[in-house]
Amino acid sequence: MSREVVGVEKSETVALHRFALFTACCTAFLIFVGGLVTSTESGLSVPDWPTTYGWNMFTFPFSKWVGGIFYEHSHRMVASFVGFLTIILTVWTWLREKRAWVRWLSAAALGAVILQGVLGGLTVIFLLPAPISTLHACLAQTFFCLAIAIAVFTSPQWKRGLPLIKSRAESVSVPVLCASTTTAVYFQLILGALMRHTNAGLAIPDFPLALGHIIPPLTSSKVIIHFAHRLGAVIVTAMIVWTFSRIARSYSDHSLLFRPALVMLILVGIQLTLGALTVWTAKAVFPTTAHVLTGALVLATSFLLTLRAYAMVIEREPACA
Amino acid sequence: MHKRFLLFCASLLVCALVAACGGGGGETNAPPPAAGGGAAAGGGGFDMSKANATVSGKISFEGTPPPNDKIQMSADPYCAQHAAQNPTTETVKVSDGGLENVIVFVSMGAPAGPYATPTAAVQINQENCHYIPHVFTMMTNQPLEVKNSDMTLHNIHAWAEKNPQFNVGQPVKDMVSKTKFGNPEVPLPVRCDVHKWMGAFIGVFDHPFHTVSKSGGTFELKLPPGNYEITAWHEKFGKKTMMVMVADNDKKEVNFSFNANDKGAGTAD
Repeated sequence: MSREVVGVEKSETVALHRFALFTACCTAFLIFVGGLVTSTESGLSVPDWPTTYGWNMFTFPFSKWVGGIFYEHSHRMVASFVGFLTIILTVWTWLREKRAWVRWLSAAALGAVILQGVLGGLTVIFLLPAPISTLHACLAQTFFCLAIAIAVFTSPQWKRGLPLIKSRAESVSVPVLCASTTTAVYFQLILGALMRHTNAGLAIPDFPLALGHIIPPLTSSKVIIHFAHRLGAVIVTAMIVWTFSRIARSYSDHSLLFRPALVMLILVGIQLTLGALTVWTAKAVFPTTAHVLTGALVLATSFLLTLRAYAMVIEREPACA
Repeated sequence: MHKRFLLFCASLLVCALVAACGGGGGETNAPPPAAGGGAAAGGGGFDMSKANATVSGKISFEGTPPPNDKIQMSADPYCAQHAAQNPTTETVKVSDGGLENVIVFVSMGAPAGPYATPTAAVQINQENCHYIPHVFTMMTNQPLEVKNSDMTLHNIHAWAEKNPQFNVGQPVKDMVSKTKFGNPEVPLPVRCDVHKWMGAFIGVFDHPFHTVSKSGGTFELKLPPGNYEITAWHEKFGKKTMMVMVADNDKKEVNFSFNANDKGAGTAD
């Protein structure tokens, strides 16, 4: 990955970066609103798409945003806004960005957001089929990562070049460990999405035990999906603790690595608490939705850490004979 | 350059507003037409005058009925204004010791059809943000009319398993959607995703031997002579079955009893 400094006017560089950051923040909010739709079971309260009860979705009267419509239509409006931001971001990047791969990254983000909109429509038209709804949820996380990547790559700090650090002698390098953690978090989010969209969230209604056992009787697909999500939580937590301890031990004086690692550790603690609360409150709206958002933030932090680790940590120079 | 960029952004906004155009409050997608088999409309093969035996009875409820869940209607001001004070769901309705809204039907032993399909439509109304009736039965391919009598939006979402699911919006007062179900299904839940508390249950049969318990939990079925399995199904307390044999012009009494410990609202098939 090239880290050459590209000659772009400083003010415009900062503006593009800030706009990308704004798009990423709006995407996090969109994920929260999307989580609300599922938590309140409002996904089908607007039965048509792209129209809303026959209205153009942008002219649907606010007085009619009642009951479940409020959540579903808000989700559509925020999604449209993020789509609009992504179009601007892509055009801006293609006009001003010299690095071709960044331009193509923005094009990929635009493609993802369009596909995401279509998937959202299909979930409505086909009455929430689990495969499409799960794909919709996973693509949301992927798009979130793309938006973060564009924000990172367009930052002046990245263009100037991040400070380089020589890796310590370890069996698994920090960049590989961070990438593994990010992969684990992403798979855990897929399991979470599958659990939400197959209504398996309360298939195991007790916690910390599972149907009264440490390993529950795997009697149905819902129990299997739910238990896999719990196992995934253990694996992800272990990976994050491992990643944090490695960075704290070897790179604690490098805030660009240490800070996101610490944030990731705190977030996973919050996420575990929210997961437990989701079960204990029988999927109350707030903890369930916050669980979705925090999961996305864990992924975002882990992804940011991975990008920085690959950019900053370089291989040790071979020892002289 | 900046002017061109702003112009481009403005054009996008206009395009977005124009996109996804709709009429503005018209009827949305209609329910699908009926699929599958079922009796032919009009003339059927079975002579209903042979159904001269009467099976009647009562669905008793033993003990104290559990309270229904309170409904929070503040999410829709119209519903909040038009609802009764302290509204609750209609899940458990007991009067004179009898349980109402229980689907009672012949689950085994019905003579082979075909049966004439009633041409009169069964009607369900959305009134003051409730389904009226809450539980009803009908025959396959019999017309069903769903009406919105409220000045608020409803969607009618049929959570069918043996019939095609559908989800139809009714944004305008007095809108009527028509549909049919081609396959027997008990229960076939209907709900409104806008107002979570709104739910109804339909029993769809390929024969005419079915009813819903009324005030006092009473019911009556007219049957031809034969040996039958009668099933009583309730949305909260599940199902119970009894056998009964009737001869010509017979009058038999069949009573069911539910209590708060009965559970299981799954399929009654």
